[in-house]
Amino acid sequence: MQAQQHGSDAPDPDVLRVTGLKKYFGGVKALDGVDFSLRKGEIHALVGENGAGKSTLIRVLTGVHRFTEGTITLDGAPFAPHTPQQAKARGIQVVHQEFNLLSHLSVAENISIEALPRTRLGLYDRAEVRRRARTALDGIGLTDVDVDATISTLGIAHRQLVEIARALQTDSAILILDEPTATLTDREKLRLFDIVRALADRGVTVVFVTHHLDEVFRICDRVTVFRNGKTIATEDVAGSSPAAVVRHMVGRDLALTPAPRPPVAADAPVVLALEDFRVTGSRAATGVTFDLRRGEILGIAGLVGAGRTELLRSIFAVDPVASGTLRRDGAVVTLANPAQAIAAGMGFVTEDRKDEGLILSMPIAANTSLASMALVTRFGLLRDGDEAALAMRKGAQLQLKFSKISDAVSSLSGGNQQKVVLAKWLATKPDILLLDEPTRGVDVGAKAEIYTILRDLADAGVAMLVVSSELPELMALCDRILVMAADAIQGCVLPQDYSEETILKLAYGQT
Amino acid sequence: MTTTTSNAGRSFRDLINRAGIGLALLGLVIFFSVTTEHFLTPNNITNILTQITINLILGVGMTFVILIGGIDLSVGSILAFAAVIAGKAITLPGLGPTEAILLAIFAGLLAGLVCGLLNGFLSAYWSIPSFIITLGMLNIARGAALQVSDAQTIYAFPKAFEQFGSALIFGIPLVFLLALALVGIAWFILNRTVLGRMIYGIGNNEEAVRLAGHSVFRYKMIAFSLCGLTAGIAAIVYMARLNIASPIAGIGFELNAIAAVIIGGTSLNGGRGSVIGTLMGAFIIGVLANGLILLGLSDFMRQMITGVVLIVAVVLDQFRARYGRAA
Repeated sequence: MQAQQHGSDAPDPDVLRVTGLKKYFGGVKALDGVDFSLRKGEIHALVGENGAGKSTLIRVLTGVHRFTEGTITLDGAPFAPHTPQQAKARGIQVVHQEFNLLSHLSVAENISIEALPRTRLGLYDRAEVRRRARTALDGIGLTDVDVDATISTLGIAHRQLVEIARALQTDSAILILDEPTATLTDREKLRLFDIVRALADRGVTVVFVTHHLDEVFRICDRVTVFRNGKTIATEDVAGSSPAAVVRHMVGRDLALTPAPRPPVAADAPVVLALEDFRVTGSRAATGVTFDLRRGEILGIAGLVGAGRTELLRSIFAVDPVASGTLRRDGAVVTLANPAQAIAAGMGFVTEDRKDEGLILSMPIAANTSLASMALVTRFGLLRDGDEAALAMRKGAQLQLKFSKISDAVSSLSGGNQQKVVLAKWLATKPDILLLDEPTRGVDVGAKAEIYTILRDLADAGVAMLVVSSELPELMALCDRILVMAADAIQGCVLPQDYSEETILKLAYGQT
Repeated sequence: MTTTTSNAGRSFRDLINRAGIGLALLGLVIFFSVTTEHFLTPNNITNILTQITINLILGVGMTFVILIGGIDLSVGSILAFAAVIAGKAITLPGLGPTEAILLAIFAGLLAGLVCGLLNGFLSAYWSIPSFIITLGMLNIARGAALQVSDAQTIYAFPKAFEQFGSALIFGIPLVFLLALALVGIAWFILNRTVLGRMIYGIGNNEEAVRLAGHSVFRYKMIAFSLCGLTAGIAAIVYMARLNIASPIAGIGFELNAIAAVIIGGTSLNGGRGSVIGTLMGAFIIGVLANGLILLGLSDFMRQMITGVVLIVAVVLDQFRARYGRAA
């Protein structure tokens, strides 16, 4: 534990202090000795690999779970919330990673949903609901959001900001943001940071849970690192470094950026070529055209809504194609459904592994074989031995950490779940992999491993199309980066020109 | 860290989850054996097995549909329609008894299969909740049964057919053994075949199955078709036991079949459950019905208690699902 934990310079600057906190689920020690404090008006980052205990601490602080042992002091008084309502009453608000908005109601209704105002006659007071929403939105600078808009019409970034507005309309002392930037683009992140900074200046204490160290060093004042249910260190950001934080997180040194790759041979065969390829509902006059060579990792950058995911889905024949040609090894092919795309040697690691990639409650083995059932069946009958062997083989190749191959995928950490998704596609022996946000919600250690896996695959000749909202990821991984905006390619950036500025200029070019 | 430490706890919980329903059934059997004189007599056991047969057969098909996240409200009506079609076939003039029986079985099963296929096609093709489509089919099949039969009960079947319905092997009704065989086949399909894997997969995450290159549409069609087929089988058993084919047969049977599946621990949301659970569920409903009557309770009381058991089963299941998630 670091000395900064209990500041002795001021009388008592800590609004919240957690000492020796333990939380057991049966025999599982989710929290095993957490010491942690918050100063008024600071932005305090919580970092740590998945399963390190950040989420459990938040659930304890917000009254979802009761703790087993330890003490929590809030404003000098003991604090042990039994329900989320009690936590809120004491001024602790949380904005979760998964949104808690009612998508068919308006922004205004969502903001007031916890305590809908009534008129003197006891009826629903629509005017007051709208007024409160306006105040709440303006309070965090969201003057451009219409209070009558239905949530489902808003983008993800706006939904998140609406949640923050909702959390802040009551006088929150402590605002917990659980991975608030996970789905945001860079511009949206900057706006969020401005809002968070303004809140902290107003005296709100902000807890910032994130996987991104650059964010920690951009806006946070202090950072607490979790590992295996314990707090490893709390440091002043000004006196720390990303390398030091990573060392605390994983308990060892880790290379954050892989070494550069030699360029793909210019005469490598083109395995996939798109010509004037337009997705259904495309806003662009001309379609997308590019060549993907054997062993090449081609990145696709762009803002959320630029049409990157839609492009991948259309290539994989999940969604219908409006027009254009797709050549596979030089021959024009028309793919009618994902089965044909798989038969053509493609695999698709989707953006959302929980909703589209994995069957969480099913075993690792069953998930691994899902796209290549023919390998593990005969005459429609499953061969468990073959299936387990396939999963073990792919698991070993990807250094998957698991206890039993028959365990449900839901028992794995985010990084290992993502490896199962990769294993599923590698089992089909693809020539081309489409990857949409391949490291979303994955901790730093697993991220580095996934980069290595992808590079090894490229070296083995697999061509990859990688969509990512993290520019450092694309720049670390890709041989070339295409930048998309409004369903069209705005430009292609080569390694010698890689910089966030160059890419962002292209990404914003059209808007 | 959850992977290593909780194994012992998890397998213990698994055991309770799996055995829970069996223990409940065992408890009921012991309770009625002690409190009533006639419960554990060979005659009464034969009785119970006969009584649960139809519900068990319907429950087997219903398990497939509920596992993919659907529901089939039409099986009672399909049973009546298939029975009427089979009844028309079996009473066709000029057929020998064997031909008539075979034709009837074929016609009955085909009628059930076609109705199920329609249910599956309509709900899967347009992605309409199966609740709505099968509610429509409930009326269509019932109306068709009444239309085809002129609202008349069909009777006078060959002797051999009747014997099939009442045959006992060591005191066990032949039709119950047939139902048990269906449970075995369904278990095999669900656990050992690609079809079964896809049914569980679709119930859990339809999109993941689709993106892995499988035809969700086809597997949904198959699940509903199998459910229709079991309604056809149930229709034949029903005819053989009662020796009539009535267009008003099977009213409300769908609810009993759903109850058996749900009491058996299959999740209404799909993806989780088993046909062995359905077997247990059907037994619990049957044993309760029989035992409570032996205790001297009215049929109305029996109905109320069966309803309570259903609700308790679902509440326990929710509790179990939540408990499982928290850890």
